[in-house]
Amino acid sequence: MSNENIITLQNVTKRFKVGDGEFTALTDINLNFKKGEFSGLIGPSGSGKTTLLNIIGSLDSPTEGNATVMGKNIAALSHKESALLRNHHIGFIFQVYNLLPVYTVFENVEFSLILQNIPTDKRKKMVMEALEWVGLENMANKKPSNLSGGEGQRVAIARAIVKRPNIMLADEPTANLDSKNAHAIIQTMKKLNKELDTTFIFSTHDEKVMGYLDRIVHLEDGKVKKDELITNATQV
Amino acid sequence: MKLALQLGYKNLVGAGLRTWLNAGVLSFCFIIIIFFNGLIDGWNQQARIDSTEWEVANGHLLHENYDTSDPFSIKDGHGELPQQENLTPVLIRQASIYPDGRMVNISLKGIKPAQQTIKLPTQLLSTSDAEIPAIIGKRMANAAKLKKGDQVLLRWRDKNGTFDAANITIVDVFDCNVATIDAGQVWISMDKLWEMTGLNNRATYLIANNKYQHQNIAHWNFKDKEELLQELTNLIETKKVSGAIFYLLLLTIALLAIFDTQVLSIFRRQKEIGTYISLGMTRWEVVKLFTVEGSFYSIFGMLLASIYGTPLLIYIAKKGIAFPSEAADGMGISISDVIHPVFGLSLIVGTIVLVIISATIVSFLPARKIAKMNPVLALKGKVQ
Repeated sequence: MSNENIITLQNVTKRFKVGDGEFTALTDINLNFKKGEFSGLIGPSGSGKTTLLNIIGSLDSPTEGNATVMGKNIAALSHKESALLRNHHIGFIFQVYNLLPVYTVFENVEFSLILQNIPTDKRKKMVMEALEWVGLENMANKKPSNLSGGEGQRVAIARAIVKRPNIMLADEPTANLDSKNAHAIIQTMKKLNKELDTTFIFSTHDEKVMGYLDRIVHLEDGKVKKDELITNATQV
Repeated sequence: MKLALQLGYKNLVGAGLRTWLNAGVLSFCFIIIIFFNGLIDGWNQQARIDSTEWEVANGHLLHENYDTSDPFSIKDGHGELPQQENLTPVLIRQASIYPDGRMVNISLKGIKPAQQTIKLPTQLLSTSDAEIPAIIGKRMANAAKLKKGDQVLLRWRDKNGTFDAANITIVDVFDCNVATIDAGQVWISMDKLWEMTGLNNRATYLIANNKYQHQNIAHWNFKDKEELLQELTNLIETKKVSGAIFYLLLLTIALLAIFDTQVLSIFRRQKEIGTYISLGMTRWEVVKLFTVEGSFYSIFGMLLASIYGTPLLIYIAKKGIAFPSEAADGMGISISDVIHPVFGLSLIVGTIVLVIISATIVSFLPARKIAKMNPVLALKGKVQ
């Protein structure tokens, strides 16, 4: 892990319109994330974890304050610029995997590389490498509907990691998995974090995930309650 | 674009029956549009050929006082024959015949029996022994209840306006599709008409053959073939427009099905849309993706239409469509008993372009809403 901050959040506040009023999801958040961090946002439902991940992932922008990701001010980005940022630097892992149902495992993983116009030969090599990382090289031709929950999430990880992003954002990645699969998934991500020096940020309230985190940011009612470094995190 | 095509194709194939229902309706549209236009084109082609062979030839030289749309101009609308070759003179006089004692007003037309410019069987006017041999068309024969060999009283005026009358003998009833040389007309020899009217060496109009080279002739106006066929072309274009209403209605139904499918698809695939955006697609790229997907319906429809439509249309083009002669008579336009549709390349390409563009537009209309979607809500699958 380097000392370089690749995510800087300064006084980030996010409000949503609800009917005639407003709901404040995040209040005055100040956080930095360094390259290669393996950290988690912990908190109960409605604490603002997903909102914060969405802002970091440039899917949303703060109402107030500055969110800078890879040196880019999220609020100032056009749709095209934020798409480029996501395509090249950010990988997403979702709770329900969000795999494209008509594509095979290979094609799902290949998708972001096609968006980057990477040549076919190179693409094929990168996809197979990503599938090897998650142990699914033999399932390349299967459709998502033929995969188990754990396999589906591993495809989602391969899809996110294949483009070698600087940041991986995982929203409750183990919520739909059994204990064995949850450990396997988190260990895969930890391994990738070490090997590729990718910054991982989780939103979770899964105790199994928490054990592997090097840093835990506790959120409550949209505010940072505690930001702690974990020295005795489980290693793989 | 390659990605949009790939993904559009996969999504549609993956959708199964829904795709093939839409493609089926569109393919039917393809066939109907091509068939209907092919029928009109075939009719147009046949009508132009018949009109050219039986009436128009290479054009008409009309006397300056004669107006084809004004029957009152017939009386004085004639002049001395110009000294010009390759022209067949026709003199028109107003007259009446009395079949079974009924008076029927007719145009009495004189023409040289030896002419070969138009297909009218005028040779019989010189070979018959009858005092005044005449030929009429099948429409005229039906209307006046006359047949070959019948005699009927003819009354006409001579050049001084004096009435005269004599019996004419029908020596032939010709069968042609061009109503304008048939209905209400009696053809006799030009020399006989000159003799009967005293209008020697005069004509109302002259029919030019293929060797005719037009030079300005005083008191005569030349209308070439295209000009004379313009009215026919206009009439057929009108028929085309009225027919278009029918197939546009059909096309609208097919496009409505695509529109509905697209709306449902966007509503149902919110998470997928959110995923595309999170993977790095811009919203407009996703709009393009869904639009291309909708356009694919028209391509599938076209492929389906080519499978069952090609043999069907080839069969129809060869066999032709029977047209009842009663219906044709009432239209005032040349139409044969059997019309052979003509399916030209421009018609087929034009129809393909029309359907693809229409399908693309109706696919784009609902898809453009994606551009305004909130990707966070889309990822959650929330209806926006």
